Amino acid sequence: MSRYLCILGRFWKNSLLREMSFRGHFAVNVFGELLWVVLLLVFIDVIYSRTPDINGWTEAEYLFLTGTHLLVTGLFEAFFFENCWRISGLVRRGDLDFVLLKPANTQFLLSFQQISYSSLANAPVGIGVCLYALRGDTQGVSAGQWGWFCVLVAAGVVVLYSVLFMFALTSVWLIRQTGVDHLWFYAVSLARYPAEIYRRFVGGALYFSLVFVVPLLLVSNLPANVVVRTVEPWMVAYLLSATAVLLSLSGVVLRAALRSYRSASS
Amino acid sequence: MRKYRTVFMVALADRLVYRVDFFVSTFLMFIPIVTTVLLWRAIYSGAGGENIGGLNYSDMVSYYLLVMVVRAFGSMPRLASTVASDIRDGELRKYLLQPISYLGYQGTLRLAHKIIYFIMAAAPYALVFWICRRFLPAWPDGGTLCLCVVSLVLAGAIGFFINALIGLLGFWFLEIASFLHLFMTVQYFLSGHMFPLALLPASVRTVISYLPFAYETYYPTLVLLQRTEMASAVEVIGVQAVWVTVLAIVTRVAWSRGLRRYAAFGG
Repeated sequence: MSRYLCILGRFWKNSLLREMSFRGHFAVNVFGELLWVVLLLVFIDVIYSRTPDINGWTEAEYLFLTGTHLLVTGLFEAFFFENCWRISGLVRRGDLDFVLLKPANTQFLLSFQQISYSSLANAPVGIGVCLYALRGDTQGVSAGQWGWFCVLVAAGVVVLYSVLFMFALTSVWLIRQTGVDHLWFYAVSLARYPAEIYRRFVGGALYFSLVFVVPLLLVSNLPANVVVRTVEPWMVAYLLSATAVLLSLSGVVLRAALRSYRSASS
Repeated sequence: MRKYRTVFMVALADRLVYRVDFFVSTFLMFIPIVTTVLLWRAIYSGAGGENIGGLNYSDMVSYYLLVMVVRAFGSMPRLASTVASDIRDGELRKYLLQPISYLGYQGTLRLAHKIIYFIMAAAPYALVFWICRRFLPAWPDGGTLCLCVVSLVLAGAIGFFINALIGLLGFWFLEIASFLHLFMTVQYFLSGHMFPLALLPASVRTVISYLPFAYETYYPTLVLLQRTEMASAVEVIGVQAVWVTVLAIVTRVAWSRGLRRYAAFGG
């Protein structure tokens, strides 16, 4: 365990050194992330200047959902996005060999090698948007609610990681699988909005799929609901179970992918 | 001209190699339009079905569908990052030694990619548009159709030059990914891709109309939506042509200045 913590520390230090080698690049990245948040807030303001609510979500609730979404996606992008994205390149060039030759768990090495500190900036911004949505009225939220919020945010990040990691591994079979960044963009597009808007579409099939097959709709909605709306306890239990299942499945898919992997070099 | 034809044919063959990849990407591309339309349905429902920004619900659905068509012309995936990495890794010298214009080569590649894209994506697009036919405007007459095509081609040219310019920043900066990310964020908003610019206050809209981004997506979409009179559609095309000319000149200047700094690093 301590060996892995040591490796993790080295990975994060290397990533920090890399990002600090391009300080201007880092600053522009952080500025870009902040600008995106501002544009999202403008969009929400534009929407709510025309309607009092969206499927029962008031502006404050929707703002809280947006903040939660920024927190979940910021954490995922910081810790896992680049790692998932680079898998197809490792497979295509045969560089996965170098990962396999190292005396450490392959999933660990593939998942934690890089951290994006500029994306990490979205996490405090997300928390800031959440607090702004509550307009300082945090007294109405119990410690238990905040506790569950943290647990469900973590579960959301793990769900996103498991789904994207498994999708990235399909590059072993499909080669030049360039869709990880696309899939991430679309997953973010889906998870950003109140889950209720999907309920009546194609007889609820999309809602059902995005809740009970690949629970992308829950990664931001459920933590936000715990604080600003109400949540059925079984939904919390379901998301936690689904998180455990997806995480285990990602290990199974990795082992299957490695059995099919043929180095591309020489 | 023959060498560009060869580049074009090679690029066509390359695009046809990864067909599964292509279909996965094309399928996924329709996800945001579904989520956006569902969001707007909820917004119109909350607003009691009233017009928003002069658009009713059908107009709004049509707007987002047609934005996809316009973006299919204007978006240039990986152009900027390819140009920048060719500069950074020293790959550019390979092209400088050949009797071919590098940007002409990149333009020919994109043209081939677009043509293959339009052919292969025609069926999914037709299916989605058929499903959503009740929202769409009537099929345009011959004159309007010609204006639409010209506007789309010019939107593609604006997209090409803007992305090439971002890529050429590679002459001055080692890493341009952050600029690209920033640019895409700004473009998503200012081009009207995020939501119709009509929803913004008039003063903000006026400022945005002095930038090229709206002429890459928003105004061509209005032309397709037939929300502009014939005269103002011609005006949109005129401004687009001016932007293409300006951007082509700026690209040419940036290329010449950049080449003077180029040191052809890499092995």
